[in-house]
Amino acid sequence: MSAAIADTMRSEWTKFRSIPSNLPILLATVTVMVGASALTTSRASENHQAVGAAFDPTYISMYGGFLFAQISVGALGVLVVTSEYATGMIRTSLTVVPRRGRLLAAKVWTFGLIALVTGEVAAFCSFLLGQIMIGAGGASPATLDQPGVLRAVVGMGLVWVLVGLIGVALGCLLRNTMAATTMVTAVNFIIPIIGPRLMPAAVGEWVTTYWPISAGLQVITTAHHPERLAPWTGFGLMTACTAALLMAAFAVFRLRDV
Amino acid sequence: MIRIDRLTKRFGDRTAVDGLTFTVEPGRVTGFLGPNGAGKSTTMRMVLGLDKPNSGSVTINGRDYVGMTRPMREVGALLNAHAVHDRRTARNHLLCLAQTNGIPGRRVDEVLELVGLESVAHKRAGSFSLGMGQRLGIAAALLGDPQVLLFDEPVNGLDPEGIKWIRELMRGLAGENRTLLVSSHLMSEMAQTADHLVIIGKGKLIADIGIGEFLRQGSNVLVRADDQDRLVPRLVEAGGSIQQGTDGSFIVTGLDTRQIGKIALDVGVVLTELTPQRSLEQAYMGLTRDSVEFQAGAA
Repeated sequence: MSAAIADTMRSEWTKFRSIPSNLPILLATVTVMVGASALTTSRASENHQAVGAAFDPTYISMYGGFLFAQISVGALGVLVVTSEYATGMIRTSLTVVPRRGRLLAAKVWTFGLIALVTGEVAAFCSFLLGQIMIGAGGASPATLDQPGVLRAVVGMGLVWVLVGLIGVALGCLLRNTMAATTMVTAVNFIIPIIGPRLMPAAVGEWVTTYWPISAGLQVITTAHHPERLAPWTGFGLMTACTAALLMAAFAVFRLRDV
Repeated sequence: MIRIDRLTKRFGDRTAVDGLTFTVEPGRVTGFLGPNGAGKSTTMRMVLGLDKPNSGSVTINGRDYVGMTRPMREVGALLNAHAVHDRRTARNHLLCLAQTNGIPGRRVDEVLELVGLESVAHKRAGSFSLGMGQRLGIAAALLGDPQVLLFDEPVNGLDPEGIKWIRELMRGLAGENRTLLVSSHLMSEMAQTADHLVIIGKGKLIADIGIGEFLRQGSNVLVRADDQDRLVPRLVEAGGSIQQGTDGSFIVTGLDTRQIGKIALDVGVVLTELTPQRSLEQAYMGLTRDSVEFQAGAA
């Protein structure tokens, strides 16, 4: 990594932490993930016997909290770019870093690392707290040395990163906070979570299997459903879609007048 | 040195900058004048690579701005003082700019002191008055101690004390042999600061002239004539010097209205306007009058 991109990343970190609300929101997001996971886990472990062999204590301990947390992770990613357009700061930023690709790359890397660290912390805390609650509910909790469990927990943090980067890419493409956060929420929450309940069965089934975040979340399962993609295949699909969005963002960012 | 060569920028069907060519030399303050909408800011944005020209080129000390790895050490710019995140403190704003170019944190404190903002370094930029915001923008431009400086309307919002301060700052920077391009729409402001003037209207160059020469044009006469091509050579022969306006008007220096009228009569050209220019401001207004984009209607 060249010195110039490292300098620009240092600057992006200063930018992120010097907006007074960013770090508290990040902390709140981790708290929401762990707290909401605990609630949904205790609910799920009450009826684990009804679910039987399909009961996936790893997935259950993280998924419920993630649904809430991902909205603010995506929104923070959006704001990394749109707050600069809203305030006019983008003109100053591009004057001091005229290589546009470098500025956007620094934003992607910096926010990606922020999301990775907080995402892994949130994933491990949710998992560990969730397993205590599952044990207390009478079901058998998962442990990190069981097959696929460590992959699922680490994978949860990686999905955070992708959700955050989808936010950065859409923020760059749309330049407007409201439009981009609405879009991120639609793409990662409304279409995959609420959509299948409202759509024709075949379409809903397709969305549940192939929609980027639905596919990506297969990485946090340990009880595999044969009709869904395999964990890393699904995660790979979501990564590819995120990469495509980012490439579009880079192309547009380079060509546009500020 | 900034070299602008046949620079053109179109927004849709409007040509904001139209084949503009001029050079900004070091060691002096070059005033960049024109009415609102003349293309001054667009030109400065193209110098910095924020807008891409449709044709033409800009080089700074022979190089392309966008290609510079650490541009702040070579070029400082105050484009729009409001281009800051209003929830960030002044010091953090400058720090995140400095870090992109590997400039150490102590330089941030130095420029804060230089512009007189050290007491509000930890206040949010959004709470700043217009004048303080302007000082913050100037501090950002000075961070890398650059040889070339671009200031777009730097006196906007400054109080008289602030205006005096920035004039002295610009004079001092030019005295250190730096290159300064300073835009303004006010002739009176530039008359007190600039050594050289580049005047544009509707994106076109109207004048590229030393301030001394411009000031000597106390006896300028604005002329409009039916057949310029026949009149102008005769005026030059008679000792007048000509400066072309945008719309067929031109300014004659060195001849008075009576002499010009007589020459026009000799060659049989109808004069549609013959106006003596009494002041610098009037000379500027005369040159740019027809290139003013937004004009109040007659009362």
